[in-house]
Amino acid sequence: MSVADPFVTAVDRAIRFPVNALEYTNILLTTDDAVVGATPREVVWTHRETTLYRYRSSTRRYGVPLLLVFALINRPEIFDLRPGSSLVEFLIGEGFDVFLVDWGYPDEEDADMGLDEYVCDELDWAVRETLRASGAEELSLMGWCIGATLCAMYCGLDRGGERPPVRNLALLTMPIDGRRSTYAQWVGDENFDVDEVSELWGSVPGGAIDFANKMMKPVTNFWTTYRRLWEGVQDGTARREAYQSMAKWVADNPPFAGKAWRQWIHLMYRDAGLLRGTVRLRDKSVDLRRIDQNVLVITAGADHIAPRPGTMPFFDLISSEDVEHFDRPGGHIGLVAGSAARKELWPGIAEWLAERSSGRGAETLKPNEARVT
Amino acid sequence: MADRQNGAQSPEQQVRALYEDAESNTATAFEALVNKPSFGQLLALSAENTAALTRMAFDGVDLLWRNLRLAGRADIVRLSRQLHRTEDKLERVLQEVESLRDEVARERESVERDAAGTPA
Repeated sequence: MSVADPFVTAVDRAIRFPVNALEYTNILLTTDDAVVGATPREVVWTHRETTLYRYRSSTRRYGVPLLLVFALINRPEIFDLRPGSSLVEFLIGEGFDVFLVDWGYPDEEDADMGLDEYVCDELDWAVRETLRASGAEELSLMGWCIGATLCAMYCGLDRGGERPPVRNLALLTMPIDGRRSTYAQWVGDENFDVDEVSELWGSVPGGAIDFANKMMKPVTNFWTTYRRLWEGVQDGTARREAYQSMAKWVADNPPFAGKAWRQWIHLMYRDAGLLRGTVRLRDKSVDLRRIDQNVLVITAGADHIAPRPGTMPFFDLISSEDVEHFDRPGGHIGLVAGSAARKELWPGIAEWLAERSSGRGAETLKPNEARVT
Repeated sequence: MADRQNGAQSPEQQVRALYEDAESNTATAFEALVNKPSFGQLLALSAENTAALTRMAFDGVDLLWRNLRLAGRADIVRLSRQLHRTEDKLERVLQEVESLRDEVARERESVERDAAGTPA
């Protein structure tokens, strides 16, 4: 290296600065044009804000359809982020008949939508329509975040002895007890009048939910992300499509229906009712001990939204004999939507489902004995 | 120079490492800050005040709007809720119809199977 090299580098940087600045702003300003949720799909059923989509597989190999359920915050397109980086695309390629519940954009008129309505009506009916459309008698449920908790509640709901038509239950970064999370510091205190806020707002604006989520890691979310993008642009390593699709998804925040938000805060950050079996939906008890399906639980080591310790009590509650636990490094969303997931986690999920979706016998474990892999 | 060739950091890399270190420490400090109950109280009170102010502003605009004999947000919400109630009822009726249709189809299948099995 010659003495002039740092000087040459500095001049090169200075010359490239306007170009880099333009590219950087262009990436930020054209984020809305990013393609998100591009896999072809058809509408199977709609009710109020809820829509059930079907992604048909041209190489269908498994008789048991798979129903994907995402959280009540953010959009379910994270399952189908962008071509080449889409869990849905991967699963239909593996031969699964994939359905997806989209909770839509609840507004003030949907303030009366509570967990009762989401579990007992919307999810129950989505399951029904999935079975009707696919001609199957049972399905696999895959929930993510709040969606996973809704799926667990659905399977734990008292049906007077009747079993829900769910063979396999895959739960991704699922909160069960949030009392030790940062959220609990914010909304767990009784002085925070959650009833009043939900009544005033009707449905809690998506922007407020997004702001709260970002405030959990303020420097990372409000600064580091943009700084890293700038460095990527300077080094020529910025991945425009990857950044834009994720940024677009993060910025798309539907409101949280008021009643459901209120119930969620009580359930997760104050009472931990699912642990104690005290939750009641439409006067029917929700007891996780009723869950006897084949269960796959996926936790993320660096999950600050649904920290792993808040999921682990689930294993002590359920009655399933076939329980598997994937514990992986990564964050709440990055675990499943990150670039590493495609190589390792998705094939693992597909393999777990495949073994249990074609009528072959599943490996049996002792009750509550989870395999950690 | 020899140091640099041996893998030691250049001044620019050192500055960058120092900066990243400072940023990482700041991030950790902020995460600890937002995890404190006092911050939670601040956020909760801000949320309550924002919700109340939003509602007051909406109500004020809505009042003005309705006095102009124009449909306001409250009217639209009421209408939407009526539509939702109708849709709920329709959905339940549709499900009943579908299950009856399935039942009839099953019955018909059974009758046809019996007829096919009966010797002529």
